Amino acid sequence: MTFFTIVLRSLTRRPVRTCLTLVGISIGIAAVVTLVGMAWGYEKGIGKQLDVVGIDVVVSNMSGGLMPKVFDESLEEKVAKLPQVSETTTVLMQMLSVEDAPIMMVSGREWGGFTWDKLKVIDGRLPKDGSEKAVVLGTLAAEVLKKKVGDTLMIEVEELAIVGIVDGQAMVENGTVFLSLTVMQEATGNEGKVNFLDIRATPDLPKEELNKLCEDIDVIFPEGQARVASEVVGTSQGFKVARAMSWSTSLLAIIVGVLGVMNTMLMTVFERTHEIGILMAVGWRRRRIVYMVLCESALLGLLGGIAGVTLGALGLITLGSLPGVRGFLEPDLSPKLMIIAILIAVVVGVVSGLYPAWRSSRLSPSLALQS
Amino acid sequence: MPETALKKPGELIYQAIGLRKQFDNGKVVALRGLDLEIRQGEFVAIVGQSGCGKSTLLHMLGSLDKPTAGQLNYRGNSLPDLADHAAYRSHEIGIIFQSFHLLPTFTVLENVQIPMFEGSASRSERKSRATGLLESVGLGHRLGHYPSELSGGERQRVAIARSLVNKPSVLLADEPTGNLDSVSAIQIIDLLLELHEQLGVTLVLVTHDPSVAERASRTIQMKDGVVISDRFTNSH
Repeated sequence: MTFFTIVLRSLTRRPVRTCLTLVGISIGIAAVVTLVGMAWGYEKGIGKQLDVVGIDVVVSNMSGGLMPKVFDESLEEKVAKLPQVSETTTVLMQMLSVEDAPIMMVSGREWGGFTWDKLKVIDGRLPKDGSEKAVVLGTLAAEVLKKKVGDTLMIEVEELAIVGIVDGQAMVENGTVFLSLTVMQEATGNEGKVNFLDIRATPDLPKEELNKLCEDIDVIFPEGQARVASEVVGTSQGFKVARAMSWSTSLLAIIVGVLGVMNTMLMTVFERTHEIGILMAVGWRRRRIVYMVLCESALLGLLGGIAGVTLGALGLITLGSLPGVRGFLEPDLSPKLMIIAILIAVVVGVVSGLYPAWRSSRLSPSLALQS
Repeated sequence: MPETALKKPGELIYQAIGLRKQFDNGKVVALRGLDLEIRQGEFVAIVGQSGCGKSTLLHMLGSLDKPTAGQLNYRGNSLPDLADHAAYRSHEIGIIFQSFHLLPTFTVLENVQIPMFEGSASRSERKSRATGLLESVGLGHRLGHYPSELSGGERQRVAIARSLVNKPSVLLADEPTGNLDSVSAIQIIDLLLELHEQLGVTLVLVTHDPSVAERASRTIQMKDGVVISDRFTNSH
């Protein structure tokens, strides 16, 4: 028999209660994994998209929320004149409900701009020119919308022909509906407006120069912000809100978990007052009893964490396959997230056990034996 | 039988001077200025009616409770002021209770190993020492049983084995036969006497049973929280 046997035995003496507590913790941890996994997946997807398209600097006005506010497309001309700029292109991108899909990324891209370059046509063709009332679908978007080349697609009030299916080489790109900027502006009533100005800097421009470019653009466009592509996700207000929401919702779930474990551990300590008295009577130190109670609650946390991560992973996989989510974001089930979730569960266990452990250590051996 | 920490015969182990214990803010007074001396190797029976304070005294000697006033020394040191009460309970004394106080979710062998977690014994040492003790109290065939599967006498034997596992020099027994039938009670007292004689442990036994008390070498009679008689009855 080891000390661990003693810890384990006290958890198995009330299997139903232990299982119910584990269910409570695992639901909390599953919520953490699912919500944070979605938020991280969304961020990662956007980051990958920027990388694939080859954008160095993104100009937008992110103060509006998840999608940036529109601004005048004439900004492009002014920015293009800056010496560090090699290429520019504008985009009007919105999240719209498209036919049966509750939410879908629709990207109106300046015809001839470099953002069309990485789209690999796998069926049909790209629009003939910037005025053709046509769309091409990313592979996942086609799957979600159940559309093929030759079908039509309603964007707001415009019925547009689907002329091609493309591989965008990134999850977010594959889940997007592409059309020319002009057609998008007409369909959404945003003539002359865009919400992204994507910039390719001159080759091998050092990081400091990229930052200087951003500062120069900020002067030209004070109401918006220019960001180096790698920093877009981390500094965007929308992503910050999404991250905060996922963590705050997770925190609620964690608090529920803490209360559950604390309740169980308190019950355990109350029920075992007599046993704790016996342990003290045979010479156990108070700190060993505290350690025993903390080990029990930490073990509850660990087991709940493992179950929660498993449950959360299943939740993420399920959510990732839903029509509203598929193609829009790729859930992130990284080892980092799993380790963080399990660590949270163990910390939840230990924190929940602190008060019961303290109570158990305050017991008088004589009174405990009489209970 | 295992070895114990034998001390010089006759050495003063416990000394109580004016020992008082009250409960409930003084509404209940269990000990009223009790004086007592117990020496190494004695078999002392503390007798008296229910409520006379004999179990309270045993709890004081076992460092399970602290006196309200008075002095209580163990080998010349103030027992309530010991720096490490757990070490005293773990290694200096063994305690046996009327209701056995075994842990119900642990087997007989595991129950006896429990006190050894405060020592430096390895896992195998713990197991072999507990097994040896259980065999010596006649329970070698019950190692894997749970307390609920044992008779009262067998449970008390487990408790005795547990009390001896850290080789104490003093055994404190609080009504060890109180929950046993007469046959089991005789067997338990025989076992305690055997341990007392073979190991030289000081045995302090609380009982209200005169037939148990007459087996002791010294009988202390208590009434209303004080000693009213102290006589040497037997020599083992």
